[in-house]
Amino acid sequence: MPLDTSTYSLALLRLDGRRWNELRRIHAQISTQAAADGSSYLEMGNTKVICTVAGPAEGRRGAVGGGSQSEMRIEVEINIAGFAGVERKKRSRADRRNAELSHTVQSALESTLLTHLYPHSTLTLTLHILAQDGALLAACINAATLALVDAGVPMYDYLVACSAGSTSASAAAPPSSSAIPGLGGIGGNRSVGADADDPLLDLNGLEEQELPYLTVGTQGDSDKVVVCVMETRCHASRLEEMLAVGIDGCKRVREILDGVVRAHGKKMIENE
Amino acid sequence: MPREAELSLNEREFLLQALRENVRLDGRPFDTFRNVELKFGEEYGVADVQLGKTRIVVRVSCDVTAPYPDRKFDGIFNITTEFSPMASPAFEVGRPNESEVILSRILEKAIRRSSALDTESLCIIAGQKCFAVRADIHVLDHDGGLVDAACIALIAALQHFRRPDVTVEGENVTVYSLREREPVPLAMLHHPLCVTFSYFHSGEVVLVDATLAEEQVRESEVIVTMNRHGEICQIAKYGGSPIDAVSLLTCTSSALGKVQALWKYIQEKLDEDAKKRDAGGLMAELSAENAR
Amino acid sequence: MTSTLLLLPGDEVPSSLLPKGNHKPLVLGPGLRHAPPSSVRATVSGTLTVDARKNALWIETNRGRYIPHVNDLVIATVLRSSSDFYHCTITPHAAQANLPQLAFESATRKTRPQLAPGALVYARISSASRDMDPELSCVSASSGKADGLGPLKGGMLFDVSLGFCRRLLLSESKVPLPAEQGGGAVTILEALAEKIGFEVAVGRNGKLWVDGGDVKMTLAVGKALQQTDQERLTLDQQKKLAAKTLRELGS
Repeated sequence: MPLDTSTYSLALLRLDGRRWNELRRIHAQISTQAAADGSSYLEMGNTKVICTVAGPAEGRRGAVGGGSQSEMRIEVEINIAGFAGVERKKRSRADRRNAELSHTVQSALESTLLTHLYPHSTLTLTLHILAQDGALLAACINAATLALVDAGVPMYDYLVACSAGSTSASAAAPPSSSAIPGLGGIGGNRSVGADADDPLLDLNGLEEQELPYLTVGTQGDSDKVVVCVMETRCHASRLEEMLAVGIDGCKRVREILDGVVRAHGKKMIENE
Repeated sequence: MPREAELSLNEREFLLQALRENVRLDGRPFDTFRNVELKFGEEYGVADVQLGKTRIVVRVSCDVTAPYPDRKFDGIFNITTEFSPMASPAFEVGRPNESEVILSRILEKAIRRSSALDTESLCIIAGQKCFAVRADIHVLDHDGGLVDAACIALIAALQHFRRPDVTVEGENVTVYSLREREPVPLAMLHHPLCVTFSYFHSGEVVLVDATLAEEQVRESEVIVTMNRHGEICQIAKYGGSPIDAVSLLTCTSSALGKVQALWKYIQEKLDEDAKKRDAGGLMAELSAENAR
Repeated sequence: MTSTLLLLPGDEVPSSLLPKGNHKPLVLGPGLRHAPPSSVRATVSGTLTVDARKNALWIETNRGRYIPHVNDLVIATVLRSSSDFYHCTITPHAAQANLPQLAFESATRKTRPQLAPGALVYARISSASRDMDPELSCVSASSGKADGLGPLKGGMLFDVSLGFCRRLLLSESKVPLPAEQGGGAVTILEALAEKIGFEVAVGRNGKLWVDGGDVKMTLAVGKALQQTDQERLTLDQQKKLAAKTLRELGS
């Protein structure tokens, strides 16, 4: 069911009233589950994720994967609740999409955590998706980072992720061919000229169905990309601005997450 | 428990040292593919791709079934992957390992989600009958570059495949066998191909089409799927060491060149095969009669 | 004396080829079976090799799978270590082999070598049986000396066929070889060694370790050996290849 996004070029406001470079509301808490070694709850707009961490603990003997046991193994389990999406549908755990998602979180964390400090041990992350409304991978990665900070697992820097899209009306169109002359740039705080293909930050679920988008994950506020997943067709010339906007978004997400961690730390000190 | 023959420390160090000295073990330049060899089978829709020592066979087949109730106007297109234990000690029957999940997901995104195959053209009667096209991917030998090789094989096989012709009169559907009527090629909208980039030495060395040994040593990989028109169908960097964003952009531009060259090769092979099948111009004569 | 007779499984060895005029008992080597009353049949395909002096005959073959035999020299990879053993792989398909931590030259509880997972060792198979994991040793049982065995440092591993490994080892020990391709002898190593210096270890499990000091030299030697194996070069071709390799290294 195609969705009408054509109004964007008139008012430069998105479906939910945001401008092109605005994030959705991010609300996060850490240490939500007392039983877990580390836990977090994260909302990015209407996407809601709970993450718990167990370990690093001695791994199961039988599950020894490779020959190298000099590094910590990371296991990621992702549960998508039946009520998370619009349709009420039970997704099996062997689902390949799910497997890919947890593989992504796992291998992104492997390069961010100091895994060599915990030989012969296993770290288990469990992610529960309570509601999905776009940026699922980004929310999972951000929630995992917060839970790992809570668990006190050493890491090089925050691993933060954010999605970015492009308003290019038809995926196949080369840049600016779909531009409506004279309308681009009205009222926008960005000089777009005749090019109506704007990059967008942090897409919601409806926008994700409609527009090409990618998810970028960076380490801290550097420009180094750890994760980059794009699943929709789009012209190569769109990639640069989408990446730039995504990396910029990651920096802002990092600030927000950092704020959450600091606020939590402050509260802990006050309570003592 | 069988598992991948892991590289010894000596091999790892040697490989990395060689890369530092700008040498690949097989003497290739950093940005070239291994020798690609594409063969077609006797039947339509069988493609056999050899990429160095990696070998993949794809078979496309189809039959007539009812469409999914929520997609009445679309045919069905499925891709299945099978990793045979003869390809590598790490593969086991009935237990998909991580690389199998990744391969099938990448192909799913690269070919199905980017709608390379027009599934609407597979519909015969809306909501009642449609073609179900199925592509079986068999990995026969594994020496790295599975995603790239599988994608070449799959695209070639889909392009080579011919489905039986059908006519619809009201509710009656007649499916003509290959003997009765010249079969019809599938409607391909574009031809996405994958190029895998491997990063070594914290991003200083970038290799195209890594061998199995190089894959075991690499720090991170980026799989880019593009078509020859310069559209990106999919990018996957699942983790690994951080790389510069600029490097991702150079990947896409270099992938475009590779994809165009690969597609040209596939097309040449398809033409060659078509010529072989059309011995004596018999088919041209037949189809001319049909047109009248 | 050698012959070039190619036998397939089930073929009978012509009685004219059986060594005669020797009072030693006839010895049947790998790939041959005594079919009573008096004929000898092949059980694998390969070339028949006859050693009249020892009154022995066997079949020289190039099989794909390595099966451990006692006294074979192999290049094994250490997987992990336990309190008494290093657990090694010889081939990824076969069972793990155990290398006792004290089976090194003048090794004691305190001086035994520390091998990290992934290290390579050149070892002799000290026991192999159907029902047990093979055992390795890096020390000669009689003299207690290493005899060139032990951990391999640096260098690079190359995969070659099992038959080629055998030919390499045999041409060193000057045992008669089947006459295919000039006796199956391998001269490329000697031809290369005339001009350049490098170290080589040949494992019967199809592994070849080469250390030429630097990347270029090691690769050149390894590639030359692999090419000799894969393209079944004759003695003349091997000499040509050696000359070509040396020329490329010189430039």
